[in-house]
Amino acid sequence: MNVVIDKRPIWVILLSRSLRPLFFVVVAIIFWYLVSIPTPDGLGLEGQRTIALFVVCLILWVSGVLPLAITSLLAIVMVPLLGVLDKKAAYALFGNEAVFFILGAFILSGAVMHSGLAGRTAVVIMSRFGETPKRLIASIFFLAAVLSFFMSEHAVAAMFFPIVLEIAKGLNLKPGKSVYAKSLFLALAWGCIIGGVATFLGGARVPLAVGMLKEATGINIGFFEYTAAAFPTVLIMLLIGYFMLTKFLPSDVEDIHKIKAVFERKIKELGKIGYAEYAVGVLMAVTIFLWLFLGRTIGIANIAIASVVVLFVFKLVRWKDIEEYVNWGIILMYGGAITLGAAMEKSGAAAWIANTVISEWARSPLIIIAILSLLTILLTEGMSNAAVIAILLPVGIGIAGKFNLDPRIITYTIAIPAGLAFCFPMSTPANAIAVSSGYVTARDMAKAGVLMMISAWVLFNITVFIYWPLIGIKI
Amino acid sequence: MNKYKTLHNPAYLKIDLMLNGIKADNETIQRLGLDLRYGYTGVTGGLDILLPHNTWVNASFLEEFAKSSKYELVLRDKKTFIKAGDESVKVDIMPKPEFYKLSTATGIPLSKIGAMHGGYVAITPDTRCEFFNMNIECRYCAGNFNSGGSGRVYTVEEVLETVDAANKEGKAEIVYLSIGFSETPDGGIEFLKPYIKAIKKHFNTLVAVEALPPKENHFIDETYAVGADSVLYNMEIFDERLFKEICPGRDRLIGRERYIDALKYAAKVFPNGTVATHLIVGLEPAESTIKGIDFFTGIRVVPILPIYRPSVGANLLNYKVPSLDDVLPVYRDLYHAVKKNKININWVRDISVITTPIEARFFAKTKFNKTLMERFYKTKLGVKTAWGLSTLRRKLRVREGGEG
Repeated sequence: MNVVIDKRPIWVILLSRSLRPLFFVVVAIIFWYLVSIPTPDGLGLEGQRTIALFVVCLILWVSGVLPLAITSLLAIVMVPLLGVLDKKAAYALFGNEAVFFILGAFILSGAVMHSGLAGRTAVVIMSRFGETPKRLIASIFFLAAVLSFFMSEHAVAAMFFPIVLEIAKGLNLKPGKSVYAKSLFLALAWGCIIGGVATFLGGARVPLAVGMLKEATGINIGFFEYTAAAFPTVLIMLLIGYFMLTKFLPSDVEDIHKIKAVFERKIKELGKIGYAEYAVGVLMAVTIFLWLFLGRTIGIANIAIASVVVLFVFKLVRWKDIEEYVNWGIILMYGGAITLGAAMEKSGAAAWIANTVISEWARSPLIIIAILSLLTILLTEGMSNAAVIAILLPVGIGIAGKFNLDPRIITYTIAIPAGLAFCFPMSTPANAIAVSSGYVTARDMAKAGVLMMISAWVLFNITVFIYWPLIGIKI
Repeated sequence: MNKYKTLHNPAYLKIDLMLNGIKADNETIQRLGLDLRYGYTGVTGGLDILLPHNTWVNASFLEEFAKSSKYELVLRDKKTFIKAGDESVKVDIMPKPEFYKLSTATGIPLSKIGAMHGGYVAITPDTRCEFFNMNIECRYCAGNFNSGGSGRVYTVEEVLETVDAANKEGKAEIVYLSIGFSETPDGGIEFLKPYIKAIKKHFNTLVAVEALPPKENHFIDETYAVGADSVLYNMEIFDERLFKEICPGRDRLIGRERYIDALKYAAKVFPNGTVATHLIVGLEPAESTIKGIDFFTGIRVVPILPIYRPSVGANLLNYKVPSLDDVLPVYRDLYHAVKKNKININWVRDISVITTPIEARFFAKTKFNKTLMERFYKTKLGVKTAWGLSTLRRKLRVREGGEG
């Protein structure tokens, strides 16, 4: 039984409890106000209602008063109720390719973890590269990043967490005090965050953005195409991250040989590689190969789901083993975000916002990119990166039309920075996992994270101006 | 003794009756219809009498010492009086509850499981106390918590049957659950949890828990969260040296400091006036008990002051019973101390076997009239309100699954 007794004076508790219903009343009033004011010129009634719904969802997403998934469900319900889309169309949007890719990614990650393959890979590689404190930091940081190229960054963070925790305990580091422990857990979080931006596979936000783009414009972005645009940012951010971890958080540990015993024990516990591990390894290798080379023609969601089917055909996992790895909340959230995004687009609301509001300060494509990426990177610190995409992408696509910008550029401008959330535990699960260790505090994370955030924004824009034209992305 | 006019002051009378018992001849016993099969002997087994001003007392009448009491129970015109010399005062005798005649589905008489004391039904689901196994039991204790091993543990269902029967008779305003010492870090609350949960689930009644101070404070949080409305960690003796001497088990295995810390913490978790500790009057000098009263009221803990009455089988059988003169300064201080520290005294009330702070006002030369709140909490609506407020407070204060 885990209970906490709120010992504040009763009137304070009552006041704080009444804030929640009051908050919903205020949100309802805002919604009512936005739908009842005269419809502005150039905006239809559906568009006005969609904007009202969008504002409500934005408030709910940012405030976190409701779980993200529930706000998304509210969006799905409200879109047909407000007459923006009919019921069938609204619910059909939930069947988006991105949603199924996320489902597939969760199941595949679950299989990799359940089989023991993930743990063995991590343990073996770290035991080889963890000779000195710096090398150990480097091995966690780069390994987390590289694995996040190919699988969900959340899954990588979850997979590495027990191992890093064991390292910290093995080295007898003091929670909240040891600088080296902070480095270890920030290395894990940052590795996952930066690596997760590199490909379609690091998280669900890129497929979401690509899905939304396709839904809105019919334009598709391929696996390599995206990676080519994102990779320099990832590579340089990894170098900056490593520099920060080793220079700004200098190690207060000299000898890490004790850790060898921890790894040796882990490897012993794992035993020899079994059939399931081999089979899952081969299946993952094939899946990654297909994602890399046939993703555009077959579709990454198709590949993921087909691999999932193969997993079960060969009885490599059981459904009950996998269930705990499938985060249905995230899946629901993505479904709702896609529906709302489509409603913004189809009702003309996104275009209207682009034309009348953002165009006020949008003077040139470069300024649009700088401001959109800044807005994205700031918003993603406080809310789900997928929600940021759902909110900004329809508006961005609208602006793209006005300035004759390729919508793919806007997609990159939002999808890449949306993954770079370094400052807060609520920004992304990798940060939350790191803070949950007790070795790194939210304040430590914010202090180091602000520098990383600024670096990421500056670097991204330099990449846009210098590197993108070199690979044929013309602004 | 007449200098106190005991007969016309319910608190004086209560204490004097507790100390000296009351005479009752066979004819009166028969006319009152007292069924002596239902345990009228022992520390808590006497006759429950309702004195004026709604003051309950449990007075011995079958024990030897009661035969020399100056008080006598008499019946006149179907009315009951307590007579002392030429004067008398009208009282009510509370018959043993009807549910005492019933048994559980498993065949255990309900009178063995639950004992009525005023508005309380007291239940000890497991009567064992491991202090006895280690020969470090409290020296005044005659072992109503029996020596380990042989005691029957009453099941949750048996306890529920008892509470249900008491409830149907309208006699369970508060269910008082207690437990003896066992060598667990939780002070016995883990054992009591299913009982508290079940009682709270089935009845709209308040639950008081008498346990031992747990080793860690989160058990106190859990005691409140699970449904206890009041908690008692009975330190019994405030004086450090006498605590060691009289309560060796409590001293060695729990420690005086832990009692104080646990009570201090509980007072922050539970509502004002619902955390209490017994300080036995008569086992330590009055000045020491007064010190204890002042200390505990200062940390918002209600001192409850039972009077020591020697029990057959206890190590302190020959201890001198205090006189009214000895105990009066203590009770006077109790009332002033709770008032000074603004402790709610409505919670600990209507108990026949101890003197409550609310009754101590009769020593403090204040008016005997009940306050409006006191009157209200005595009504059915008041009892329901107390339960509702207590439940609401718990709902507001307890957050399940806190992030650790």
